[in-house]
Amino acid sequence: MSLLSQQLGSQMVNLGSALLLLTCFAIVAQRRLTACVDMFAVQSVLLAATAALVAFLTGIHHIYIAAALTVVIKAVLIPRILKQVVERLNVTRELVMNVNIPASLLICGGLVMLAFFITQPIIPLGFLLTRDSLAISLAIILIGFFTMIARKKAVTQVIGFLVMENGLFLGATSAAYGMPLIVEIGVFFDVLVGALIIGIYTHRLQDAFDSVDTTKLTTLKE
Amino acid sequence: MAWPLLLLVAVPIVAGLGSLLAGRRRTVEVLQCVSAVTMLASAVLVADRVIAGGSAAVEGFLHTDALSAWFDLILGVVGGTGTLYAVGYMGESMDRGHLPLKRYRQFFCLFDLYLAAMLLAVNLENIAIMWIAIEGSTLSAALLIGFDRSKEALEAGWKYIILSSVGIALALFGTILVYYSSEHVLGVSSEALRWSELYRVAGELDPAAIKLAFVFALIGYGTKAGIAPMHTWLPDAHAEAPTPVSAMLSANMLSLAVYAILRFKAVTDKTVGPEFSGSLIIVLALLSLAVSSAFFLVQRDYKRLFAYSSIEHIGIALLGFGIGGLGVFAGAWHLMNHALAKSTAFYGAGLVFLRHNHKSLERVTGLLDQMPLAGTAILVAGIALSGLPPFGLFSSEVLIAAGAYTAKPDVAYAFLALLAFAFATLLYQVLRMALGTPGEAGTAPGRQCRIFTGAAVGINLVVLSAIGLQVPPRLEPLLASIVTLFGAGIEVPR
Amino acid sequence: MMLHAVLLIVAQTIVLLAVSPFIVGLIRKVKARLQCRRGAGVFQPYADLAKLFRKQPVVSSTTSWIFTATPYILFASTLAAGLLVPVFVSQTPLNFAGNIIALVYLLALGTFFLILAGLDAGSAFGGMGSSREAIVASLTEPAMILSIFAIALTAGSTNLSTIVHKTALLEGIVTDPSPHLMAFAALFIVALAETGRVPVDNPATHLELTMIHEAMVLEYSGRYLALVEWAAGLKLLVFLTLIVNIFAPWGIATSLAPGALGLGLAVYLVKVSGLAVVIGVIESMFAKLRLFRVTDLLGVAFILALLALVFFYVLRG
Repeated sequence: MSLLSQQLGSQMVNLGSALLLLTCFAIVAQRRLTACVDMFAVQSVLLAATAALVAFLTGIHHIYIAAALTVVIKAVLIPRILKQVVERLNVTRELVMNVNIPASLLICGGLVMLAFFITQPIIPLGFLLTRDSLAISLAIILIGFFTMIARKKAVTQVIGFLVMENGLFLGATSAAYGMPLIVEIGVFFDVLVGALIIGIYTHRLQDAFDSVDTTKLTTLKE
Repeated sequence: MAWPLLLLVAVPIVAGLGSLLAGRRRTVEVLQCVSAVTMLASAVLVADRVIAGGSAAVEGFLHTDALSAWFDLILGVVGGTGTLYAVGYMGESMDRGHLPLKRYRQFFCLFDLYLAAMLLAVNLENIAIMWIAIEGSTLSAALLIGFDRSKEALEAGWKYIILSSVGIALALFGTILVYYSSEHVLGVSSEALRWSELYRVAGELDPAAIKLAFVFALIGYGTKAGIAPMHTWLPDAHAEAPTPVSAMLSANMLSLAVYAILRFKAVTDKTVGPEFSGSLIIVLALLSLAVSSAFFLVQRDYKRLFAYSSIEHIGIALLGFGIGGLGVFAGAWHLMNHALAKSTAFYGAGLVFLRHNHKSLERVTGLLDQMPLAGTAILVAGIALSGLPPFGLFSSEVLIAAGAYTAKPDVAYAFLALLAFAFATLLYQVLRMALGTPGEAGTAPGRQCRIFTGAAVGINLVVLSAIGLQVPPRLEPLLASIVTLFGAGIEVPR
Repeated sequence: MMLHAVLLIVAQTIVLLAVSPFIVGLIRKVKARLQCRRGAGVFQPYADLAKLFRKQPVVSSTTSWIFTATPYILFASTLAAGLLVPVFVSQTPLNFAGNIIALVYLLALGTFFLILAGLDAGSAFGGMGSSREAIVASLTEPAMILSIFAIALTAGSTNLSTIVHKTALLEGIVTDPSPHLMAFAALFIVALAETGRVPVDNPATHLELTMIHEAMVLEYSGRYLALVEWAAGLKLLVFLTLIVNIFAPWGIATSLAPGALGLGLAVYLVKVSGLAVVIGVIESMFAKLRLFRVTDLLGVAFILALLALVFFYVLRG
C-alpha cells in the first residue's frame, strides 16, 4: 500500500471512529427512548462500516464476518427487541435524570479527554491505520458506562451497556485488527444473550414494580 | 486425552440439559446426583493428574496447570456438594407446593450450566474464551438470582446484571489490551491469547499496555469478585438468591473471579515486576476488609451477614496474593477453606430459612437445640470463618499477617486491626444464633430434604476438618507450583 | 493597492447587502413549498424593506436615545463583521482591522445593543425577549469561540483570510477530516441559535410564549424596523458565508483576476443558496425546542467544539 493511500485510509478510519463517538453524544443528549434506540442502531451501522473499512484496507477477511454480525445483531435484532420493550412499557421519555443533559455532556467531554490521556502511553504501539481509534474506543466505553449511571430508565441503562459493547468491538478491531474469529463469535453470542436477559428483567420489573424506573428499586440497603 | 478433565466440564452441561428435558422429578434427581458425584470425583482425579504430571490438557482447548487444578478442586468439591444441597432444598420447595415441575427443571438446567461455565473458565487456556465462559456464568447467575421473582429478588438480580455487565465489559477491554501488546510478539493468532504463551513471552510485552490491561482486568473481574468499592451488588444478590445459589455465588463465583485476576497478575508480574499489581491489590483488599467489618455490626439478615463475610474473606485472600511469596501460598489456601466454610454456612442458613421463612437475624436463636444439622453447620462454619483454630482459615490468616509483617508492616497492622473487629462481630452473631433457647417453632423440612442437605453439609464439614490446620502433603506440590507462577519459589511451611 | 482595497470594500458591501434579503426570501420559499404552499416570491423581502423605509416610524415616548441609535449600531456592526469574512475572494477587505475574534465581538456588540433596546421601551415582551436572548447569546458564545479556535488551529492562524486561503489551496493544513467535521456541526448549531432560527427561535411567529428575537424588536417600526430586519438578514448571511468558506472554500477566488472573481462570485451564490435551502428544510423538519431545552442543544454544540479541539491535538500527535 502506498503511503498516500495508507494515510487516506487511516483518516477514513479516524473519521468513522469520530462519527461513532458523535453518536454516543447524541444518545447522551437524547431524552426520547425510541430516538435513543435509533441512535444506537445508527452507531452499530457506523461501527460495522468502520470495521468493514479496516477489513478492506488490511485484507483480513474475518473482520467482514464480525461486521456482518454487528449489522444483523446490533443494528437490526437488538433495536427491534428494545423497541418492543419500549412499546410494551409505554414509557417514551426520560424526564428526570440523575445528571441533567448539559452537565452529562460536559462530563462526557471530560471522559473523552481522560480516555486520550490514559491511552497516550500505548498509542505508539498500535498499527498506523487504526492508531487513534483505541483512544476513541475507550472513550465510547466510558461514555456507555456513564450513561448507565446517569440514567434512570432500565431501557437507557441497557443502551448504555450496548454502547459499551460497541466501544469494545471498536477497540478489538482497532487495537488488534479484530480478535480471533471464535472469540468474536463468542462475544457476540454473549451480548445477544445478555440483551435478552436484560429484556426479560425489564419485563419482570415492570410486572413487579409497575415501572421501569430503577430508582424505585430501593428495598435493599446496607 | 484427559478424561477426568473432559468429564469435569461436560457432565454438568449434559446433566443440565437432561434435567430440562426430563419428564419426571425422579429423573432430574438421579441426573443431579450423578453430576454431583462426577464433579467431586473428577475434580480430585484432575488434581491428582496435575500433581503427578505437572499439567493436564485436551489439546488446543483445555489446559490445566497447578493454578487451574487448585480451582478445579475448589469448584468441583463445592459444586458437587452444592448440587446435592440444591436437590434437597429445591425438592422441599416443591413438596410444599411453592415450585411447579417446569420451574424446578429450569432451575437445575440453569444451575448446572452455571457450574459448568465456571468449571470451563478455570480450565480454558485462551484468556478471551475464558472471558466468554465467565460472561456465561454471569448471565446464568443473573437468572438464578432473580429466580424467585419477588420484588427483592428482581431488584437484586437487576443490580447484579447491570454491575457485572459493566465489570465484565471492562475486563474484556483489559483482555483486548493484552492481545494488543502480545500480538506484536506472538503474531496475529490465537497463540497470542494463550496464557501459557503469554507467560513465556511476558518479558517482551509492552509494560505500559500490560499495566493498563491489568488495571482494567482488576476493576472488571474485581466487580465480579465483590471487591470494595465494586461490591454493592454482592450482599443483595447473596441474600435474595435461592440459598443453593447463594452458596455457589459465594464459594465458587467469587473464587473464579479471583482466579481471573490471578491469571492477569501472573502476566503483569512477569512483565513489570510484582510491586505494581501487588500494591493495587493490597489497597482494594484492605478497603474490602474495612467495608465488610463496618457493615457486620448493622446486619439484621443472616444471609447478608454471611455475604459481608465473603467480601471480607475475598479481601483477605487477595491481600495474600498482593503481598506475594508466602502470601500467595496462604491466599490460595485461604480461598479453598473459605469456599468450604462459607458454603457450609449458607447450607445451614438455607435450612433455617426453609423452617422459619424469614431471614431476620434477631429472631433466630437456639439452632443447636432446634435444628441440629443447621446449627452444627452454622456453628462450625462460623467458628472457621471467624478465623479460629483448628481450621485452615486460621493458619492462612496467620501466614498472611506474617507475610505482610515482613513485607509491609503498616499493611499488617491495618489487617490485624480489621481482622480482630470482624472476628468479634461474626463470632458473636454466630454463637447467638447457634446457642440459647429456640424461639419460634416453624415447619420442619421433610425427610428427603434432610438426607440430601445432610450429605452436603457432612461432606463439606469432613473435608473442612480433614484439611484443618495442616496442608495435606498431597496438595503441597500444587501450592508450591502456584507460588512459582508469581515469581520465585519458596520453602513450603510445615 | 489602496484602490484595490477600496474597490473590494465597496464590492463586498454591495454583495452582502444585496444577497441577504434574497437568502431570507429563499428560506421562506423553501418552507412554504415543503408545507405545500406557493408562498411569496424569493424577492418579496426587498419589497418589504422598501415599503418599511417609506413608512414613518413611531417611537414610544418612554424610550431613550438607545432605542433610536440601536438600529444603526446593529446594522453597522453586522456589516463591519461581514467585511471581515472572505466572501467571494479569499482576501478580506478589512484584513488589516481584525481577525476572527473581532468578528465574534462585532456580532456580540450588535446583540448587546439589541438587548438594551428591548429593555428600553419598558414593555413586557421586550424585556422577556431580551432576557431570553441573553441566555442564548451567553451559551452560544463559548461554543462559537471554541469551534472557530479549532479551525484556526488547523490553519495555524486566527486570520480568516489565511484560514480560507490555506484551506482552499489545501496548504499546510492538517487534513484529517474529523476535527473539521465536528467544528462544522458545532458552528452550524451556533449559527441557527445566533440568527434565531428553528429549533431555537422561530422567525415566522409572534407567539408571546416562544418568541425571542421578534419580542425584542416588537416596538420598532418604519425605517428602524427595516434596518433591524436587514441586519438580521445580514447576520444570517455572515454566518452562512463563514460556514461555507471555512469548511468548503473550494472555488473561491484566490487572486484579484476578473475571471477568478466572477467564478468566485457565482460559486459563492450557489453554495450560500444551497445552505439556505438546507436551513429551510431543517426548519420544516424540526419543532422549536422549549426554552429550557435550548441549553441541551447548545451544550451539544459546545461539546462538539471541544471535541474538535481534542481531536485536533490527538490526531496531530
